[in-house]
Amino acid sequence: MSTTETSTTAAPTELQKGHIGQSIPRKEDKRLVQGQGIFFDDVRRHGMGYVHFVRSPHAHAKILSIDVSAALELDGVYGTLTGDEVAIQTDPFFEMSTPPGANIKDYALAVGRVRFMGEPVAAVVARTRELARDAAELVEVEYEPLDVLVDARESVKDETVMHDDAGSNVVWSGVFDWGDWEAAKAEADHIVKIDELHFHRFSSTPLECSGALVEYEKASGQWTLHCNHQMPGVGAIWMAPSLRTGIDKLRFITRDIGGGFGNKICLHPYYVTLCLLARKLNRPVNWTEWRTDQHTANAHGNERWFHDVEVAVKSDGTMLGFNVKALDDCGAFPRYEPLGCIIWAQVTAGCYGWRNIRVDFTQVTTNKSPVSPNRGYSRMQHLWLTERIIDIVATELDLDRVEIRKRNYVKTEQMPYETPNGCVYDSGDYARCLDIALDLIGYDTIEERRAEAAARGKLLGFGIGSTLDSGTNNFGQSQMLNPELQFSGNNEAATVKLDIFGELVVTLGTVPQGQGHETTASQVVADIVGCSPDQVNVRQGHDTFFNSNAGFSGTYASQFAVTGLGAVKGAADALRAEMIQLAAAVLQCEEGQIELADGFARIKDGPAEAALPFMALGAIVNANNAFLPPDFNPTLNHRFVYRPYFGPVDVEKKMGKLTLTYSTQIHACVLEVDRETGVVEIVDYAAVDDCGVRIHPQIVEGQVHGATAHAIGAALHEEFIYDEDGQLLTSNFYDYHVPHALDVPALKTSAIESPSPFTPLGSKGMGEGGGGGIHCIGSAIQDALKPVGKPIVYDSCNPYHRVWSMLQDPERTRANVEVVPA
Amino acid sequence: MLLREVEYARPSSVDEAIRLLAANEGARALAGGQTLVNVMKARAASPDVLVDLNSLDELREISVSGETLQLGAMATYTRIMASSEVDVSRPILAEVAAQIADVQVRNRGTIGGNICSNDPTNHLPPLLVALGASMTIRGADGERTVAANEFFLGVYMTAVGEGELLLSVSVPAAANAADGFASVTIGRDGTCIANAAASLAGGAARVVLGCVDAVPILLEPAGTDEESIRQAVAAASLEPPSDVHASAEYRRHLAGVCAVRAVQQATERGR
Amino acid sequence: MSQPSLSRSIAVEVNGEVYEREVDARRLLVHFIRDDLDLTGTHVGCDTGNCGACTIHLDGQAVKSCMVLAVQADGSKLRTVEGLAPSDDQLSPLQQSFSAHHALQCGYCTPGMLMSASALLEQNPRPTEEEARKAIQGNICRCTGYVNIVEAIVSTGASA
Repeated sequence: MSTTETSTTAAPTELQKGHIGQSIPRKEDKRLVQGQGIFFDDVRRHGMGYVHFVRSPHAHAKILSIDVSAALELDGVYGTLTGDEVAIQTDPFFEMSTPPGANIKDYALAVGRVRFMGEPVAAVVARTRELARDAAELVEVEYEPLDVLVDARESVKDETVMHDDAGSNVVWSGVFDWGDWEAAKAEADHIVKIDELHFHRFSSTPLECSGALVEYEKASGQWTLHCNHQMPGVGAIWMAPSLRTGIDKLRFITRDIGGGFGNKICLHPYYVTLCLLARKLNRPVNWTEWRTDQHTANAHGNERWFHDVEVAVKSDGTMLGFNVKALDDCGAFPRYEPLGCIIWAQVTAGCYGWRNIRVDFTQVTTNKSPVSPNRGYSRMQHLWLTERIIDIVATELDLDRVEIRKRNYVKTEQMPYETPNGCVYDSGDYARCLDIALDLIGYDTIEERRAEAAARGKLLGFGIGSTLDSGTNNFGQSQMLNPELQFSGNNEAATVKLDIFGELVVTLGTVPQGQGHETTASQVVADIVGCSPDQVNVRQGHDTFFNSNAGFSGTYASQFAVTGLGAVKGAADALRAEMIQLAAAVLQCEEGQIELADGFARIKDGPAEAALPFMALGAIVNANNAFLPPDFNPTLNHRFVYRPYFGPVDVEKKMGKLTLTYSTQIHACVLEVDRETGVVEIVDYAAVDDCGVRIHPQIVEGQVHGATAHAIGAALHEEFIYDEDGQLLTSNFYDYHVPHALDVPALKTSAIESPSPFTPLGSKGMGEGGGGGIHCIGSAIQDALKPVGKPIVYDSCNPYHRVWSMLQDPERTRANVEVVPA
Repeated sequence: MLLREVEYARPSSVDEAIRLLAANEGARALAGGQTLVNVMKARAASPDVLVDLNSLDELREISVSGETLQLGAMATYTRIMASSEVDVSRPILAEVAAQIADVQVRNRGTIGGNICSNDPTNHLPPLLVALGASMTIRGADGERTVAANEFFLGVYMTAVGEGELLLSVSVPAAANAADGFASVTIGRDGTCIANAAASLAGGAARVVLGCVDAVPILLEPAGTDEESIRQAVAAASLEPPSDVHASAEYRRHLAGVCAVRAVQQATERGR
Repeated sequence: MSQPSLSRSIAVEVNGEVYEREVDARRLLVHFIRDDLDLTGTHVGCDTGNCGACTIHLDGQAVKSCMVLAVQADGSKLRTVEGLAPSDDQLSPLQQSFSAHHALQCGYCTPGMLMSASALLEQNPRPTEEEARKAIQGNICRCTGYVNIVEAIVSTGASA
């Protein structure tokens, strides 16, 4: 196998658009509609035991004792594991923060203290799932409850400290100061002040919960995890040192994954427990997380407060900048954090041209479930802030919400546009997307509809959500949090080979969870080597032992269309070159005379017999190669690692290219509020997406639909709500209401294509959607309620009771804002 | 998921079912299971013995005799929705049954299970009180009939005692009855935050509120106009529970809105 | 009189094949189908009966197999997603339509969706959009926003 490791910064090659750009049938579908997909819980092993976790009923308590003896006596129980064993056999997970966050000790099971409801304190393995749960009930744990922190605004005071090793609840804090805020303030005609805004806690709750079947091989000391981790490379970086083993002793195998959305990135504490159990009991162990467990103790999205917001505005609506204190709540342990303290900076300016931005950012722990990246991770929270700012400024200064956006949007002629913090927006036309979205919701008739609705006792409003989906991270931004971290850049790998019978075989470094990678990768390969996508076999799923992978491999952060397909393209280009070389040698012509098309390498305009089917090429190299000259060694097997170029970041000024591409989503909606009940009904919804060149438009549209549904759910209903004792009150789909089929309106979508000048295919990562619907629905609610005392939407979640409260007491929300002449 | 150990019996007659319920301490009747199995999955309840009623076809019957529509306790929501007897004698029952949960739940869930579980957010308890239904219960000592407004005793508690079985629900037949039902749910079809049922006859209204107390609250307002309804709700001095979906204050307000809307719907139907 | 017991011997017909097993009374039908019969196309997405990923047909009706005990299925005919296609190589019109309309992404909710949708189409071969939405209101999908699922169902009916 030849390996080509290349940095790719050159302008994109011209690709013939054959299969690329077509919505061909997805390769994944046939098995999935027949119930033949292979999800982790479908894998069985002889003698496997089922794991059930003993979980803390307290949000914060000392563990005084754990007694597993009664559980062990139950017939059919194979064994147990407790925090004490974990503390002896493993090291705490690596923390990314600087002190105090760096000093937090995070183990696979609670050691000495529990810090959130549902935190695993012990695990039991038994012959059946039911027995494992029976046994877990027999484990006796004695607790001494401690004071509970559920509000980040309390945590930050450090009156109670959750992690004694850290000595503070603050995980990380720092100031970001770009442009010249003081000068902007001086130049402004108005300063609009907002005391407090709150971005709520929710998550995408993939329908398949987490889990794994873990096997341990005594002879080699190797673990095999049949699992649904969506970023196994990073999972292994956490797990291997903790288990005091090498990374190559951890083999992750994923096949089909039932949705991820970032929520399956921080599974390492659970997986380490499973590894320890598989080794201790010398038998395969299965853990299937149940929904209530997932809601209670896995992967919430970051909750964030914004305080003392000040916005500098000119009389004509030109926005000069803003100043804000952000307080992020990461739950009981940082895990993937404090990366969220920097990831938002990829979209510091949102869609707008303001040049002076100051953000004082602090992240704290609370006695709630640890967070994990969640669709739109960290950027969504910040983009919600920018959209709230625009709408509140428009309301307070009586400016038109469409006009103020268009005035301040970064213009298409400014692209590529460098933001105040050194990021480069690659391409886009925000104003045009907005026009299309407004057309789709019938913006020109909005006032008539408002009047018509009022006659029915309904308050009608329209809203806009302008967002960016930044993709292809530069992990160098982590050094702005902690200069000692040895992470920067990005990479992804793929291999493409031509097999003996003429089949193109592709392996990916990515770990798909429904994004159709098998299909889109086959489109790219087919166009490059000249065959049908049917001739391309993209291996399902991912196996870290056999799939090509690089340090940042995985499926996360809106990047497959750039990194994953960039790697596929690089490998396919190398294969193509070699196929041409081989065909020229066999057909005894110049390489320039060879064309690859229809599954043949042939002489252009040559006789019919001057054509080699791919099978012949594959057979020659693999099985019939004696006649090839000694100095010509084609492999027809190519690995390529795609590496986007970012250059170094400025750690002092916190500036640099933090991400490679910026997709645009402009959402617009019309909704009606029932004045008597606060019930909100969306009556019209449009989403316009620009992700550059679309490889498979139907898949792109599907992502837009999905991201929109997530946002609708989050904007109206989905919230992880805790009581003052740290008990989660929305632990199931009754109380945590995700959208049902009747809740999602018929979505109107449209797309434009502004190709990225920075990527191999002109494509951009997309799929997360930046929370466009959250911004858009909040905007529309504020508009709808305007006639009833102009309340201000101050929370990202607006269930009926909150809307009703705003109707009852608009002044309470208005006390939150103030316009001060500058 | 993962229930505690439980014994299971599947009687083939009502008498056998009653004998099984009486003979086994900690036995519970298993109707559609759409509440009970869920509660057992959470291990919030763990009966020792389940007496499965699903073989008792005689409890599934829906019939009309004279002025009475009789619904067997094991009549599923789907069957109630499709029943021509219900359609001609008290169509509101089918309409409200169609609002319960989803197709799959309606295919298994039964009227008897719904009212015996008496979850305060259920649809049928307030409706049946509004319609003046009565429940027929059989035990070792024979049958008795209990009026709907005496049937519901507390959260998950009804007049059906240990060793007894609910056989059927009787509702006065009235094809053109002025009945109405209104609710506010989480999303278009989630759990009820507030609901109300109304039935008007001879210028008088029976209005029943769900979700605000352990049992349905029956109001008999002075008239059917909005003002009378609101006064009756106010006079009830409701003290509804607070939860993540509604504060007591909001729920009290919604109870009033639902009551007025249920009566409005009933008034329109009665025209 | 039948005596209460902790386990029972049951016989069920699944997709035309009869299975006889001894099963604990407490075992849910979904675990029986997945773990005892190894028919893993039926999925579990919640533990409270909300998500519908475990939807199967029990004697011709769509039910959530996490809210039925395996012992209750004794003597019944079940159909699971594995029984939808006429053959391994040939998909049903509904399955084809799901693929054509991109009505699935991760595919985890898909078996349950297909079972709910096929139950609808058997009773109502040409459903409207609203009827299609109501038929799947008990099935949660976290990927698609339902738009394409509804289209796939309606269009299967339209071309039937």
